[in-house]
Amino acid sequence: MIHVSHLTKRFAGHIAVNDISFDVAPREIVGFLGPNGAGKTTTMRMLTGFLPPTGGRIEIDGFDVHRDPANVRKRIGYLPENCPLYPELRVDEYLRFRAALKGVPWRRRRARIAECKERCGLKDVGSRLIGQLSKGYRQRVGLAEALVHDPDVLILDEPTIGLDPNQMRQVRTLIESLSARHTILLSTHLLSEVDAICNRVLILHEGRMIAADPTSALKRKTAHQRLALEIKGSPDLPSRLAALPGVKEVHLDPRQDGWFRGELICAHEPDLRDTLFGLALEQQWAIRELHRREPSLEDVFVALTASGATRAGVKP
Amino acid sequence: MNGFLVLWRKEVTSFVVSPVAYVAGVFFLVVMGFIFWFLASLLATGAIPGVSVMNLLFGSPFFWMTQLVIAPILTMRSFAEERRTGTFETLLTAPISDAAVVLAKYMAVLTIYILIWTPTVAYVYVLREFSALEAPVDLGAMAGGYIGALLIGMFYLAIGLFCSALTSNQIIAAISSFALILLLFFGGFLDVITHRPGLQTLAAILSSHEHMFEFSRGVIDTRPILFHLSGTALLLFATLRALQSRHWKT
Repeated sequence: MIHVSHLTKRFAGHIAVNDISFDVAPREIVGFLGPNGAGKTTTMRMLTGFLPPTGGRIEIDGFDVHRDPANVRKRIGYLPENCPLYPELRVDEYLRFRAALKGVPWRRRRARIAECKERCGLKDVGSRLIGQLSKGYRQRVGLAEALVHDPDVLILDEPTIGLDPNQMRQVRTLIESLSARHTILLSTHLLSEVDAICNRVLILHEGRMIAADPTSALKRKTAHQRLALEIKGSPDLPSRLAALPGVKEVHLDPRQDGWFRGELICAHEPDLRDTLFGLALEQQWAIRELHRREPSLEDVFVALTASGATRAGVKP
Repeated sequence: MNGFLVLWRKEVTSFVVSPVAYVAGVFFLVVMGFIFWFLASLLATGAIPGVSVMNLLFGSPFFWMTQLVIAPILTMRSFAEERRTGTFETLLTAPISDAAVVLAKYMAVLTIYILIWTPTVAYVYVLREFSALEAPVDLGAMAGGYIGALLIGMFYLAIGLFCSALTSNQIIAAISSFALILLLFFGGFLDVITHRPGLQTLAAILSSHEHMFEFSRGVIDTRPILFHLSGTALLLFATLRALQSRHWKT
């Protein structure tokens, strides 16, 4: 649905987006991650045709963004950063204006707007001034606007920023429900969000694409396995554990009563829990806790985007 | 075309629900009302002014005071506010051409400008109906005056729109367009300070007050018409290029 090849954007002093390529399949939700200034917003602006790329090609549903902008614009619903709206208009006025501007036929307009309001939970605020709405409602108005012409592709730039946890969950549920009919590319800082709703994640760092994988594969590929451990045994226990194959780091703190508490950082494969338990039996160590912590996307993110110095050892 | 009408309607709605148009309108009508009162009292004394009544209505310094500020006030929001709030981005990624955006915004401010002028027709009516003079207001002169006001308004509004497209700050947009309009207006007085033939000609071309004076006598000259229309077209084109500057600015 979205096809991007060798996309580059150069501004006066620097390269904002540097030779990135990716595809998004129909009805996929793809999360766009990256630290501030990584080039996420610039990429999205190029996808919507607001900014022209310096190099590379973008195709949306087979239409070239640069050569055929009219067709592309009809197929995209775009929610820019900070959700810009006209504060002096009422919600209904705004949605009617945008629906008409986006070419929703007059006869279907009322039904479309009602449907979008229903889905975004805006039924009761239709006659309120946008300027008087809370941040959460405004965000939903922005989403309803992006949806109003039933586009194939939704491009959402940080759709949940500035919302409280409840609103965030609502918006997230809404986006999830939208994936049944739309292809969605969303950027966010919230890794839990990507983890919860995205099929795939693209990580941008300093204008380059440093990862493009399904969320599960990405974790396996880049993050370490962490074993939380509470164990009692001989004083040389930490060094014995460090000698096990696959163990990279041992962070165990001895306590007064002879117990050690902390975690092991090891390679993702193999699962060391069996080995560890076997060793403990053999040495007659006592184990009070042993469990594997799933690497969070945050670990992945930090591992990939932190500078070289911190990249070597991923600390919890 | 559809997009143009939709955006034009939204722009006019925005004017109707925001205070800017009312402020500009009240200011304008108060000044015009004052001019009218002055005129009426002059006519009531029976003293016949040396110039035509329409000259007084369309040519007084007070009239120019409103003309110089009304365009910056009406146009300062047009693009600057969209840039500031970010709606610029949603607007320009909607399926509507940049040219249609410029034209719709321009036609919207022009509509408001014309609406603000409309009540002044009453003055002309009152003068015609209730004056003791034979025919204090000549219909031809009246039409000429309104054509002149429309032409000058079109040109000044285009200047304002252009300045608004360059910045995301309404104040900067208003002040820079006011400065440009003022420059143009005083360009018409160059002949007062210099006698070089080239500058004299330039002054004759630029002289808005002179054009207005002629128009309100009922003299329709094609030169000022052409000057204002081509100036308007040039500035609207410049506005379009300013919108598209995101394509070539690095």
